Amino acid sequence: MDRRSFLKTSLAATSSLAATGALPEIAGAQAGKPATLAFFIKNVTNPFWKACRIGAEKAGKELGVSIETVAPTKPDNIEEQTRLVEDWLVKRPDAFVFVPVDYKALVPSIQKVNRASIPVIGYVNRMTDVELVTYVGSDDETLQYELCKYLFKATNGTGKIVHIDGVPAAITAQNRKKGCERAVKETPGIEVLASQPGNYRRLPAVQVFENLMQRFPAIDAVVCANDDMAVGIAEALIAAGRGGRTRVVGIDGIPDATAAIAAGKMFATADFSGHDQAYLAVTAAVRHLRNQPVPKDVTLPVVIIDKSNVQTFMKTPEERAAPSWDKAIGQKV
Amino acid sequence: MSETTTHPQLVRWTPLAQAALQAPGAFYLLAIMGAFLTLWTPGFFTAANLTNVALQVAVLTIVALGMTLAILTEGIDLSLGPVLGLCGVGAALMIVAGYPLPLAIATAVMIGAGFGLLNGTLIAIAGMPPFIVTLGSFGIAQSIATVLTQGDSVVNLPVYFRWFNDGTFLAIPVPIWATFAAFAVTWVLLYWTKFGRYVFAIGGNRQALILTGTRVKLYHISVYVYAGVLAALASFIMTARMNAAHPTIGVGLEFDAIAAVILGGTSFEKGRGGIAGTVVGALAVGVLRNGLNLVGIGTEWQVAIVGIVIITAVGLDSLRRLNA
Amino acid sequence: MSAEAARLAARIVRLPSDRLFVIVSRLVALALLITALSILSPYFLTWGNFINVMRQASLQFIVAAGLTIVVLTGGIDLAVGAILGLAACLSASLISQGYLGSGIASALLCGLACGMANGVLVSYGRIPAFIATYGMLWIAHGLGYVFMKGEVIHGLPDGFRFIGAGFVWGIPVPVLIAAALLVILHGLLHATVLGRAIYAIGGNSTAARLSGMPVERRVLAVYALSGLLSGLAALVVIARINAADSSLGEDLLLPAIAAVCLGGTSLFGGVGGIAGTAIGSVILALTVNGLNLLGVQTFWQNAVIGAIILASVLADQLGGARLIRQQQTVP
Repeated sequence: MDRRSFLKTSLAATSSLAATGALPEIAGAQAGKPATLAFFIKNVTNPFWKACRIGAEKAGKELGVSIETVAPTKPDNIEEQTRLVEDWLVKRPDAFVFVPVDYKALVPSIQKVNRASIPVIGYVNRMTDVELVTYVGSDDETLQYELCKYLFKATNGTGKIVHIDGVPAAITAQNRKKGCERAVKETPGIEVLASQPGNYRRLPAVQVFENLMQRFPAIDAVVCANDDMAVGIAEALIAAGRGGRTRVVGIDGIPDATAAIAAGKMFATADFSGHDQAYLAVTAAVRHLRNQPVPKDVTLPVVIIDKSNVQTFMKTPEERAAPSWDKAIGQKV
Repeated sequence: MSETTTHPQLVRWTPLAQAALQAPGAFYLLAIMGAFLTLWTPGFFTAANLTNVALQVAVLTIVALGMTLAILTEGIDLSLGPVLGLCGVGAALMIVAGYPLPLAIATAVMIGAGFGLLNGTLIAIAGMPPFIVTLGSFGIAQSIATVLTQGDSVVNLPVYFRWFNDGTFLAIPVPIWATFAAFAVTWVLLYWTKFGRYVFAIGGNRQALILTGTRVKLYHISVYVYAGVLAALASFIMTARMNAAHPTIGVGLEFDAIAAVILGGTSFEKGRGGIAGTVVGALAVGVLRNGLNLVGIGTEWQVAIVGIVIITAVGLDSLRRLNA
Repeated sequence: MSAEAARLAARIVRLPSDRLFVIVSRLVALALLITALSILSPYFLTWGNFINVMRQASLQFIVAAGLTIVVLTGGIDLAVGAILGLAACLSASLISQGYLGSGIASALLCGLACGMANGVLVSYGRIPAFIATYGMLWIAHGLGYVFMKGEVIHGLPDGFRFIGAGFVWGIPVPVLIAAALLVILHGLLHATVLGRAIYAIGGNSTAARLSGMPVERRVLAVYALSGLLSGLAALVVIARINAADSSLGEDLLLPAIAAVCLGGTSLFGGVGGIAGTAIGSVILALTVNGLNLLGVQTFWQNAVIGAIILASVLADQLGGARLIRQQQTVP
């Protein structure tokens, strides 16, 4: 049998197998119609969520499911996200891939989804008291802890630092702050001059920091809960002529930050890839719908980005390679 | 005196046709959207969805009722959103600390009434512009709520608290009962009591009132106190819905309430309007948002569409009034 | 202050005496604030801090300037922040790709267009300014989201960044821009036909219309100007933070309103001016700066600002009313 007829035969065999339904089908999907996943993000203004959306759509395309992105019109609005969950319950998608704008306030809404027997996959922000098929995310506390330890090593275990927090009610901010505090406790030479919220946004963080700069003429390092704030603060330091004396770290690994690190303006950041988390969350959802095994937790590893490895992280979410499912579930922190 | 005899709000039991002709934009908006959505989206005209919408607008409606009174007096209350948040936080903190429910409820009502008193006094007695006064109390209420919780949510509320949102009585959810009750009480206050007549007069004919030497200022203050109390009561529903109290939960609600009131036909000037329109206005806002979600319009466009719809509805209204 | 002294002072400065009271009381408050902060914090009276405060105040002022003029006509513009955000996104996208001229023009044109839309709705559409500009707020935000698609634009050319981050003779450029704006707008309000029209419309729009003034055209111009200034403010903001995203401008509205009120401009219209807004912006920036220097949690900022607004307007009511009554008692 030559190659062409072999291919033709195997193709015919595969398609007839598919027609008889022997290949794994997505439970609940109508014949011929792809499954629909309701993919929730917190807002449409932060590029982090755009990266998530790209990752989710990439996974959706590869796995043959349709992704509907859902976000509140008022960014991070709790009441609106509650309404969105209720409205989407009426539409009955095949699964919810969900991140809460407030991990406590959205519990009753997700409990309603549980009662409606629609599977929920959590990502980026962990929720308790709800049934999740799985939770995909980075461990914020460990992320910030490792990053701080790395920073403190570079400052020889001493120094005065300023902590710029995210949105105080957000669980990512709370856990990252805990991680920073843990690292500080373990490093007696470090003194925390101030901890103020920058609300994860550049302009508020810069304004807060500029005032802090006046109060503290000597700051050795600034620990920021995310990159958007860190980059703004790094530039504010340079504008004030204090760039060389203060190390700035953030979290997320957004393009602005990797560029800043490559240019020497920022010290380091940690990879908090929305793209990867969303991709893996959608993969988990599809696997669940296909009755394939899915672990209860998928935790992404801690990856610190500094000048030495920044080049590999300078890709846009579109260019970024899809994470490997098997490798991800092999990682247990 | 011909103004008073033909003033719409004194004609209580208007024949249906006349009411329809005079109906503000919100009625038409609601009717058109309702028809469109029923035909276009299978999920809209279902018991589950309609109940959802009613529950979703319950809080907005109750707050908007208080706002209607304020606007009828040619005033405004921008602080109702954060005051709702503060009341919710206050009650939740007390319950979590172990105080009995009635005390927590009383505290929340006191907070709402207190801010109402502050607003009313500065507006009625010191004569300050309502916009500014309530903007100031907006900031104060917002801050106090955030400081009390350090920006976080208050959780671990006892299960019985969920009744405010999840409970039902005669198969009708509690929030809908609450809305009915608030509407009924406000209706009686506005149309059957001296207080109500003064509310319209303060907006429509304040000089005449002052000349007759009545206790205008007291009634004026009461308007804001009442709005504050309604916000406090609405906060229970909101907290129960989230099973958590969050300091910023109400922010933005006051603007939606104002939109609902104006869509419902109440005017910023001259004390024209009423609360029936407000309820329709709130429903219109709720149906609009719900409809946009069900049809699947992207979030980005939803934001712009809401603005366009509000402007169009009010604009058509004012054009009709000009030609009338 | 006796009534005669007040009237004498007012005649010298050529301002009505209640207006003079407002300006003087603000300057006194400013002086007290500066004195208090100098005592409470050693870092306050430093050149670096002064630069900081002035820069933040000037950004505040540029946003609030257009709003002041709208409020003087008895209206309100709730969309200033959203228009700024939209203009910022459009211009940042062009400027970051190297189109400096069209980038700057796009911000100003966008602001102008949105402002004109507001003006048409308010003056010809007879829609209450609150609703019209509130709707525009949503529309501008929505268009911003659609345009940006969740992206952030970074990295603007250094030449452009000069207007936000640069210095001339040691003074930050935004401060110079704000100062120039102050002079120009003050002149507009007090020495042009449009300026007189603005005060007339704010004071009594019916009388203005009866006297033959083209009220609709004037109001349209005022909203258009406000939009234009939002566009200008957008350029300064993106030059300063070197980035633009669709959430920009969201929290700029309330501080702008606060600055206008602090400056003594009445929301009823017809009373106030641009100098007041400038002082109000400085007071606001000083307050925030002071709170940060003293280590007060940022959560308290809104309460402090709210209390200041209430106190200042209350003082205006009581002080201004007293002066007017004193004037009336003198035969």
